[in-house]
Amino acid sequence: MLASPKLVGYTAISAVGLIASLVLARPELVALTAPFLVALAAGLAFARPPRLSVRVAVDDERLLEGEETTAHVIVSAASRADRLDVYFRLQGLEVVDGTNPVAVRLEAGERRDLELVARATRFGGHVLGPVYLRASDGLGFLRWEAAAVTRPHLRVYPREAVLRRVLEARDTEVFAGNTVARAKSEGIEFADLRRWSPGDPAKRINWRASARHTELQVNESHPERNSDVILFLDSFAEARHGAEGTLELAMRATATLADGYIRRRDRIGLIGFGGILRWLVPGGGIVQLYRLVDALLDTQIVLSYYWKDIDVIPPRTLPPNAHVIALSPLLDPRSVGALLDLRARGFDLTVIDVSPVPFTRRPPREPDTVAYDIWLLRRDALRHRLQRSGVAVTEWRSGESLQAGLEEVRAFRRRAHA
Amino acid sequence: MIVITSGGRFTVLEYALAAMSLGVLGGGLAVRRAGAAPWAVLLSAAGYLLARHGHAAVDGRAVVVGTLLLATGELAYWSAEEHPRIRAEPPVIRRRLLLLGALLACAFAVDVLLLVAGSLAVPRGVLFAAVGTTAAVAAVALVLRLGTQRP
Repeated sequence: MLASPKLVGYTAISAVGLIASLVLARPELVALTAPFLVALAAGLAFARPPRLSVRVAVDDERLLEGEETTAHVIVSAASRADRLDVYFRLQGLEVVDGTNPVAVRLEAGERRDLELVARATRFGGHVLGPVYLRASDGLGFLRWEAAAVTRPHLRVYPREAVLRRVLEARDTEVFAGNTVARAKSEGIEFADLRRWSPGDPAKRINWRASARHTELQVNESHPERNSDVILFLDSFAEARHGAEGTLELAMRATATLADGYIRRRDRIGLIGFGGILRWLVPGGGIVQLYRLVDALLDTQIVLSYYWKDIDVIPPRTLPPNAHVIALSPLLDPRSVGALLDLRARGFDLTVIDVSPVPFTRRPPREPDTVAYDIWLLRRDALRHRLQRSGVAVTEWRSGESLQAGLEEVRAFRRRAHA
Repeated sequence: MIVITSGGRFTVLEYALAAMSLGVLGGGLAVRRAGAAPWAVLLSAAGYLLARHGHAAVDGRAVVVGTLLLATGELAYWSAEEHPRIRAEPPVIRRRLLLLGALLACAFAVDVLLLVAGSLAVPRGVLFAAVGTTAAVAAVALVLRLGTQRP
């Protein structure tokens, strides 16, 4: 229970008035003071602590960005509350209908359901609340404050952009997929001709080639296989300006790439590298996509107290022949070291440099401008170092198309393989 | 207040106190500081007291002045404590207005009774002084208690 400034003020007025009336012996001062004493007496006599119970709920626990849901604050009053201020802290949501905060009045035994329609403006895992309550008596002399302990969770998934083409992996796996494998087996894509051997089906005989040779020739094909793709998300450090940062961009791109590869029946996995090492073993299907996006929502920047000296990915977290696509702002030397280590171990590695440059501001004066230019040059040098190691690198900035960046990588890989 | 109280020897000072009271109240409400309200009330009361200087008879208008001062305090605190972001539903405002009206009516009635009782020819003595002093001391003690109370 708290005393409001009004209680203190009226008490002070009453004290000053009574003392002055005694000292100055003016009955008029009693007449001026008495109303404040009456107000004090009435306010304190009729003030009762409210007995309330609060329940908080959300209609949907999972949303896509931009979708709306309704949050409920259900207040039940066992005793009358002349004024109850209710504020529901909604992080990551924008209230589109309803009033928040709001002051309501409840009679004894009344139950109110305060509804708020909110839109998810930003993807992520959000813990809604708490709900703050402040009750005051009818005349505003006393206050009671509390917070509801229930805090519902809300997961907002990113809306992925649709990619027309994704990067092809260098190596494929044994299961059927959409990637043309280098191996020769049953398939659609023509690979080679060879001499007929017992057991070859007749439909594979290439009659025209056989007419030019003395022996029967059969077609060999490249089979369509799937591949293992590991999305490497660097969350060691991020650059941020306002509500947007490199980590959000990287997470959106990760979700977009995951969606693109799942459609091709490839298996995708996830490594979250930064502070805590998290990984998701490769899998396929829509379930794996949701599992991966859920894991993305749990990714956040944490102080690197865990595994301080970790700069390599433990060998068993990555399947062999996996195509690793790293999304990193290349700000932390640990993540750069981990990437170079992956390349040294022979992994097929692509790096999408989620550029922190748009989130910085060029300093207005020297020598800060010189330092800024040196920082930009060092970033260029780092990208060249990765390229000299055989890693395809593309710089991707906020507002630019991810598809354009992937095409740049594709061109590099084509030249590298040639 | 000025209409009721002006006309005495210290008219200029009374106007000045009234202006200061308005200024303090207006400034306090502009920055939403509830602490300005008691100062505004005390300045107005001081102006009224100054106007009564030299008048021995008990002024019956003190009842009206006291009720008006209470109304000023109530409205000032209500304005200062209402946060622009918190939208109050109509039943909340209706209830507050109803209670305010009832409070002003009660305060006026009590004030009239007090003034009538005060104008009666009854022997006053140590007992009355003791009661008054006790009330004043209790009020001061309550102020100190509230001032040291942690929020």
